[in-house]
Parts: sequence; structure tokens; C-alpha cells
Amino acid sequence: MQLIAKLIKMNLIAKLTFNQALTQMGYRRPGQPREDKPPWWRVKFDFSKGLKGMKRHFTLLKEEFFAQFVGPMGKPIIEHMLEQNQVLWEFRGPHSLQEWTISCDREIGGKSEVYLKVGRNNETCLLYGTLCSDPPKDGETRYSGYCTMRAKQPLASFDRKRYHDWSSFNTLHLRIRGDGRPWMINVIAETYYTHQKDDMYSYFLYTRGGPYWQDVKIPFSKFFLAHRGRVQDDQHELWLDKINAIGFTLGDKADGPFQLEIDFIGVCKDYAHTEDFAYEKYKRNPEV
Amino acid sequence: MKCSRFLLQLVRSGRTAAQRGSLLLSPSSGQLIVQHNQQQQVLRQFRCSPASAKSQPEHVRFVNDDDTKKTKSLVTQEDLFEQVAKESKTKATFNQVIDVFTKRDIRRRGHVEFIYAALKKMPEFGVERDLTVYNKLLDVFPKEVFVPRNFIQRMFNHYPRQQECGVQVLEQMESYGIMPNIETKVLLVQIFGEKSHPIRKYQRIMYWFPKFKHVNPFPIPQPLPEDAVDLAVLSLTRIANDLDAKTTVYQLPFTDITESGEEISFPHIVGIQSPNQMELLAKHNPNRPVFVEGPFPLWLKKTCVYYYILRADPTPPEEKEEEVYDPERCFYYPLQLDLDLDRDLGDEENFDVDDLDEGPVFAMCMTSRGDQATLNQWISGLQQNNPILGRIPTLFRLDAGTRELEGVADTEAGHSHRPHPQSQREDGPPAEDPEVAVEEEKPRRSQGMKQ
Repeated sequence: MQLIAKLIKMNLIAKLTFNQALTQMGYRRPGQPREDKPPWWRVKFDFSKGLKGMKRHFTLLKEEFFAQFVGPMGKPIIEHMLEQNQVLWEFRGPHSLQEWTISCDREIGGKSEVYLKVGRNNETCLLYGTLCSDPPKDGETRYSGYCTMRAKQPLASFDRKRYHDWSSFNTLHLRIRGDGRPWMINVIAETYYTHQKDDMYSYFLYTRGGPYWQDVKIPFSKFFLAHRGRVQDDQHELWLDKINAIGFTLGDKADGPFQLEIDFIGVCKDYAHTEDFAYEKYKRNPEV
Repeated sequence: MKCSRFLLQLVRSGRTAAQRGSLLLSPSSGQLIVQHNQQQQVLRQFRCSPASAKSQPEHVRFVNDDDTKKTKSLVTQEDLFEQVAKESKTKATFNQVIDVFTKRDIRRRGHVEFIYAALKKMPEFGVERDLTVYNKLLDVFPKEVFVPRNFIQRMFNHYPRQQECGVQVLEQMESYGIMPNIETKVLLVQIFGEKSHPIRKYQRIMYWFPKFKHVNPFPIPQPLPEDAVDLAVLSLTRIANDLDAKTTVYQLPFTDITESGEEISFPHIVGIQSPNQMELLAKHNPNRPVFVEGPFPLWLKKTCVYYYILRADPTPPEEKEEEVYDPERCFYYPLQLDLDLDRDLGDEENFDVDDLDEGPVFAMCMTSRGDQATLNQWISGLQQNNPILGRIPTLFRLDAGTRELEGVADTEAGHSHRPHPQSQREDGPPAEDPEVAVEEEKPRRSQGMKQ
């Protein structure tokens, strides 16, 4: 019994270390020293936490097992096929904030701030903060002043990646109340090669400002491919069958406070929208 | 434009530099013109753009030339700008600096450093959004030197530092949102040749910028109106979300001199209200208070303006009455249809979300000074069109900083009461407020009454 527990724990540890090794290879802020700790030193061993984790993972596994008998994605097949609208993220209560991570240019040494909290009556979420576009003085960075909010990757049992499947929809529908600033919506799809790790499909989200809610409908054919913020030459449409996350970015160079209130985010199928892709997949090296 | 078309023809005809040089030299009796300037440099006529070959290079004396030679200290290209910046920072002086540099040396030594310094100094001189200045800056590059002439040069990133500099010029143009024109393209083709990195970047700009120019569904006029009242009218019509809404200017800004000689400046007050909002306000129950909330921020490009709203809490479900459609209101078509539509799962068009009811908004206003006196003036102005406001208790919730609309359950400690002369004694406490708020309100209300 103890052997089994040890084996399972080692499995968990191996998974954790693998993830952490990957993150260490990611962005390192200029000027910060490299961490020389071996991977097994970074894990904290805690028996009760391990037990709780085990319980959670096995419950998820059980749910997944029995969901297969209900239908695909845990819904009856008739619902999965005929569904026209699906609400993905509905912000009702502090538990809905667990699915989102926020970040700003403080990580590269800038001076912006960003916070996420639940709105009035636990009915909405409010992303607010201050932007400051003074670049950090490290000699490398030239532009600064951004903040983002990104949904966490949905996870199945044992921290396996799970993807959103939006193949039966073609429009993104948001209900937001902004303050007139132009935001950017990024959709991160699952890719195969490591070079495509920072690939994002983006589009603009213009807020009107004011006390009234704003319904924004963006068809997925309008999203263009960008890698680390640079729009790519080879464009293709966003494939909706394996989506990892969605995110909002603010990077207009206006220093000052900002706020964005989101009611819900959903996808819907607009039968009137027949466009495949809004930009040309034109040939490279065109004649001048 | 004629000049650039002429240049384009030359490029397309594909003549080599030597041929072009001889073409230009033939009018001047077939001899190589050798000129000497002050620094005893031999000026060759080929290697500069055909446009400038027509005129003789002027010898512009720059003040510090002899001094720098004597002292032999490190002089960066930025010093040129800093010297000029002491006098005045305008487009003319910026162009003058560029002219000084171009005429100083036919080979344009140090042009990469100069262009980087110029790019950095552009915002100080206020020319960062001027396309002609960027074209003039691109003209600093010597022409045809960096064009690759055979396949090996084309393969191996010919003159990478200069190409990177060209790309940075275009990148600064892109970051300020300036669209390049045909002159930019001709210059880039002359300098770097076709299929170079700056030309590729230019092509990318010319592809994406027109696509994203009109993608904003709420466009902001550029430049913004400078007058505060005009700006307020523009932003209020923007947030009203209703084309029938009417803006009223309740007070224009003016300064008044009191008897003691003090100058008091009065702010502008601009309000907006649509017929729908007037209807909602007329139907509002006078027992429930209305709130004046603010200031809320609204961003227009880079300016932030603040607006205040007049709203009420949503009516509780027991007091909601169903609106009965009067069938005689419209004879052309029925206003209510009770059809059995037989809709199933595939026809559902609404999202499965609870509708948020935050209470109606009755009016919005903008003013430069948001204190209670000014907002009182706004309310009295509103009262002329909405007489019911005289009977409704108005609470002020003014808070500085970023805020969202107040909800029903939460009340904050920034309350203040507006004493209204026609109030009736039955100011019942709003039923939704928790007990804490009621206790806070009671002593203040009595103070209000005593006044």
C-alpha cells in the first residue's frame, strides 16, 4: 500500500518537475541571475496535500469515465450536434476567477499594475489597473506598458491537457463594459512544434465606454495569426477543434488607469456568416 | 511627383550605376568633373541620387567643424541635434540638421548612427507623425550602394546593419501609425533594391494597415476637439448608445469676479438624456431614491474624461408590473404575437445566462469639477424636463478613482444627501439596503431635514 502511494507520488513529482523544467527555459528577465537549483529541490513534499490531490484527480477520472456514457464532451449527442450557443465563462462569484491568470509588464521590469476582482453583487468580473509605458532600464527593452488576462488551460484528471472544441461554432460573443480603450483578444490554439509555442490568433476589441453593456460579436474568420506580437506573412484560419485558451491584452500607449468589466464569454453559430477567412493566404516573395 | 516617377523609370530600366553616371556626365562635355570642397575631398558625381547630381553641392559651413577637428574628442551624432535643440525644436530645425549632415560628406560616413539618433530625437522635435520627415531621413542613405548585384550578395544579407536601420525607420513609422507613400517605396527600392528586408517590411505595412484602418466600430475624430464643451458633447453622444438622445449644455465655463475681488471659475455642465430614459424616469417610483454616481473614466485615444450618471436601483420583482401593449397603438402590424413556434434545441438563439439587471440609467453628464454644487445644478436643469425629480430623493455617491456601477446590496460610505425643498416627510428607506447603511443614513437625513 505504501509502495503504491510512493510510486504515485513519484509520478506526480516527475510530472511537476517536467513542467517546471519547461518554464525555466522560458522568459528570463534581463539582469536576473539564472537559477541553478536542481529540479527535485524545487518541489515541496507535503503528505496531506498529496492525498487531497489524489482524491481530486481520481474523482475527475471517475467523472470522465462516466461522462463517456452520456455522450461526447459529457453532453448528450443531440445537444452537442444541435447546440447554437454555448456559454464558456460566466463570471458569477469568486470561484470563476480561479480559471484566469493576469499579468502585466511588471515581469519585465515595467511599472504597470493589474488586478482582477469580482464585480458588483458577484455578478461580473472587473479587470482594472494602471498602465505605464516607461520602458524598464535594462538596455534591451524598447517598448513597455501592457497588461493581459488569460484563461488557464483546462485540465483533465492527472493534469492532462484538455482542449476546447468549438468546431460547431463560428462567432465569439462577449458582453463587456469597457472605458473606451482598445483591447486585443487572443485565442491560443494547440500546436505541434515547439516553434509555434507563442502563436496567437488575435483581433481587436474596441470598447465604447459608458454605463451600458456592450455586446461584441467577432467571427473566428477575422482572427489573424501573430507570433510574439508580430503579424505573420503566412496566414491561415483559426482551427477551432483544439483551443487552449483565450486572453485579453491592453497595450495602447496611453498611460493611466483602465478597467474592463466582463459579464460572460460565449460562442455561437451565426448562420448568416459564411466567410472562411478574412485575409488572403497570398504567396510569398511577391514582385515589387 | 514627377521626380519620383522619373526615378522609378530609371530603376525599372535596370541600368547600371556607371551607365547612369556617364549618361549624366554627357551633357557636361564628357569629362569627369572633379570638385574639391573645404576638406579636400574629391567629389565624384556617380554614387549619389540623380536628382541631386543636377545641382552643385553647396558648401554649408557648420559651426563646429573646425573645433571638433582641433579637440579630437568623441562627438556622437546626437550632439548635432542637441546643439540645434538649444535654439528651437521645430520641423524646420530638424530638417536643417539633416541637410547639414547630408551636405557634409558625400559618402555619408556614420549615417546609420545619425539615423538612429534622429529617430530617437524625433518626438522631442515634434515631427514623429510627419511622413515627409521620414522620407527625408531615408534620403540620408547613399543610393545604390547597398543594392545586391549578384546572387551571392543576395543570398548573404547584403549590408545587414544598414538594412536593419531601414527596418527600424519603418518600424517607428508603424508604431506611430503613419502610412508610407510611393516616395518611401521609391527611396527604399533605390537604396536597398527589391527583395530586401526594408522592402518586405514596407509591403507588410501596406498590406495590413489598410485592412485595420477602419476596423473600429466607434471611431474617434482625429484631432479631438479642443474646446471642453465640444469634447463633452462628443463623448456623451458616444456613450449614450442612442441616436435619439439629446445633449443640453446647462452651463458654459466662465469666471466670475466676486465683490472681494476673487475670481471664481465655474465649470461647464453638459448633460444628455434620451426619450427612453425620460420615459423610464417618469415611471420611476418616487419612494425609491435615485443616485448620482461618478466619476467614471472614459478614454478617447489618449485623453481621459469623466462622466457622472443618474441611476436607480432595479425594481424588486414584486413591484414589477407587466407592460400591456395597447393594440390600438399601431394598426399596421400586431405588437404582440402569441404563436406556437415549435422551436427545438437547434433554434435557440439566446445564451443560457441570467440577465443582469442593474437598474435603469436616467441621464449622464460631464463637468470639469465634480462636486455636489455643480451636480445639483445639473439635477435642477434636468428637473425642467423631468418634473418627477422634484419628488424623488437624490443621493450622491461621489468617489474618486476607478469604479464600476454600484449594485443593489453594496453601499459605500460616501453618501451625502441633497436637501430638496419640495420633499415630503415620507422618505422611506430603500428596502434593499442592509441595516448598516440605514443606520448611517438616519443621522444624516435628519441633518438634511434641519436645513
